[in-house]
Amino acid sequence: MKIIGAAAAAVLAFLALVALAASMYTVREFELVVITQFGKPVGTAVTEPGLHFRTPFVQDVNRFDKRLQEWDGDANQIPTSDKRFIWVDTTARWRIVDPLLFLQTVRNEIGAQARLDDIIDSATRDQISAQNLVELVRNSNRVLDVPREETGEDDLSLSTQEVERVEVGRDEIARRILVAAVPLATEYGIELKDVRLKRINYREDVQRAVFERMVSERNRIAERYRSEGQGRRAEILGEREREQKRISSDAEREALEIMAGADAEAARIYADAYNADAEFYAFWRTLDTYRVVVGDNHTLVLSPDSELYRVLTGADGRSE
Amino acid sequence: METVQDEGGTWQPPREINIDPKQLVRLTGGVVVVVLLLIAAFSSWYTVEPEEKAVILRFGRHVATTDPGLHFKLPFGIDQAIKVPVTEVRKIEFGYGTQKAGVRTQYRDTTREDQATSLMLTGDLNIVDVTWVVQYQIADPDAFLFRMRNPEQAVQDLAETAMRSVVGDHTIDEVLRNRETIAGLMQKELQSGLNTYESGIEVLTVQLKDVTPPGPVKASFNEVNKAQQERSRLENEAMQEYNKVIPLARGEAKQRVAEAEGYELDRVNRAKGEVARFTELLAAYEESPEVTRKRMYLEAIEEVLPRVRRIIVAEEGGVLKLLPLDGPGTSGAGGAR
Repeated sequence: MKIIGAAAAAVLAFLALVALAASMYTVREFELVVITQFGKPVGTAVTEPGLHFRTPFVQDVNRFDKRLQEWDGDANQIPTSDKRFIWVDTTARWRIVDPLLFLQTVRNEIGAQARLDDIIDSATRDQISAQNLVELVRNSNRVLDVPREETGEDDLSLSTQEVERVEVGRDEIARRILVAAVPLATEYGIELKDVRLKRINYREDVQRAVFERMVSERNRIAERYRSEGQGRRAEILGEREREQKRISSDAEREALEIMAGADAEAARIYADAYNADAEFYAFWRTLDTYRVVVGDNHTLVLSPDSELYRVLTGADGRSE
Repeated sequence: METVQDEGGTWQPPREINIDPKQLVRLTGGVVVVVLLLIAAFSSWYTVEPEEKAVILRFGRHVATTDPGLHFKLPFGIDQAIKVPVTEVRKIEFGYGTQKAGVRTQYRDTTREDQATSLMLTGDLNIVDVTWVVQYQIADPDAFLFRMRNPEQAVQDLAETAMRSVVGDHTIDEVLRNRETIAGLMQKELQSGLNTYESGIEVLTVQLKDVTPPGPVKASFNEVNKAQQERSRLENEAMQEYNKVIPLARGEAKQRVAEAEGYELDRVNRAKGEVARFTELLAAYEESPEVTRKRMYLEAIEEVLPRVRRIIVAEEGGVLKLLPLDGPGTSGAGGAR
């Protein structure tokens, strides 16, 4: 009997332990819990982490992750308002803020993802098809506003590619998608933190056309560099010609001026001296001229009146 | 389990064991206590490695974050230690993949997904191919564990978004030229995104690997580079021509001027010399003009006449008188001297 009593006590104790264990549950730091009884929610959601109790065996613990989690949509092919076909790949971050509502409307995360697919995709489609492509690519007009000199030498690509100004911009479009999607997500107990445009790429055939345009643009730039080079060359050679002429003609002018000055100076010196006795100078200079003019084996023609004749014939000597 | 009668007949009934029930209770109780003590002993401490931090949950509630070392905790899973490698540098590669790192790092072949990641639109609606790597570490283990479910996926998504956002605000030429600027801007944007998520992740570096025009247009970009070099070459060649000629012209110009200056010196000095001679002569002449004049005249004649072969005297009547000067002794005139 004792044994039976002891065994019964042990069994009872064991059952009590099991019941206690079944009535306790923990809520971890990143969890939200909704208690359901036969599938029906009981009370409000448990948001406080730690040890909690419930009625064992009849109440279920439904755990939800309250951390931020990702939503990654499939890439969508959407035409922009300027009729460019692009693939748009969006990503979003969301979290469960009202687990009760969440449980009642979408049950679990798989259901939530599916609902978010609908909400975000359609908001994305609406916003993107209303915008031009540049609005999706750029955030600002920096590309247009920055002075070309600051970006380094020769930024030629912009000069050809017609790029419109951005009115809305990438971030603002993402924000508008978010604004459109947030109220819808709230209906499911979901807080949508953000929606981001992850990838925006041209459709394959458009991409080929863009590549072709890029190639022709580069060819044009290359051509421009070449002709610029030839232009510079011609310019430098012209400069060379001009400079050469300038240098040599300057020198010629200076030389002639110096020589003219020299001649004038010499003339002044001669004149100053010879003016002392012009007649004697003439005589003296004539004699020098004779020395120079009369060369070897010359024939001299004299007039009998000339002084030389008189000297030669002695007439002069006698008359003196 | 059903007992199967073996036809071999080797089956034997189990031997009966006689145990005192009291003893059994005591024995099992003792075993249970020992086991419990052992479990308690083994589950009440933990070590945190130097590169880690541990986040302690008590019944799931975050109660502490501990540093490296030996620590104690409540046993039986009441306290749970989650270790987070906070100093470990993690990286995500975008648009490429390292297969085997080393002196000669091997990369796997580019996949379609790589291309989708690396091809992006620039602000001037061109396409550029950018591959990059992001290095990060866990700065705040609490946030890392409790604010986001998958923070590393957030790094992946945000990095792609941020890179496209930055590249989208630059022209293709800027992107190709200013890798560091792009990387810097992108890192800033990535970090600010991660902060709004409270991801607990700190971005250490963003490094751009290859920034190239996409495959099909690469050749034409190279062509531009070539053309640019050709431009420099033409310019340099022209400058060379220029430099060949201009310094020479300058030298020649100096020469011309120097020659003129030489002429000047020569001309003026000669004038001065001649004038000096004349002035002296004049002084002598003025002392006795007649004699000096005659002497000078005769000196000149002496100098000139020996060179003359013959002298013709033109008389008024038209008769010519020849004065032979050919040799000594043949001349009447010579005799007159």
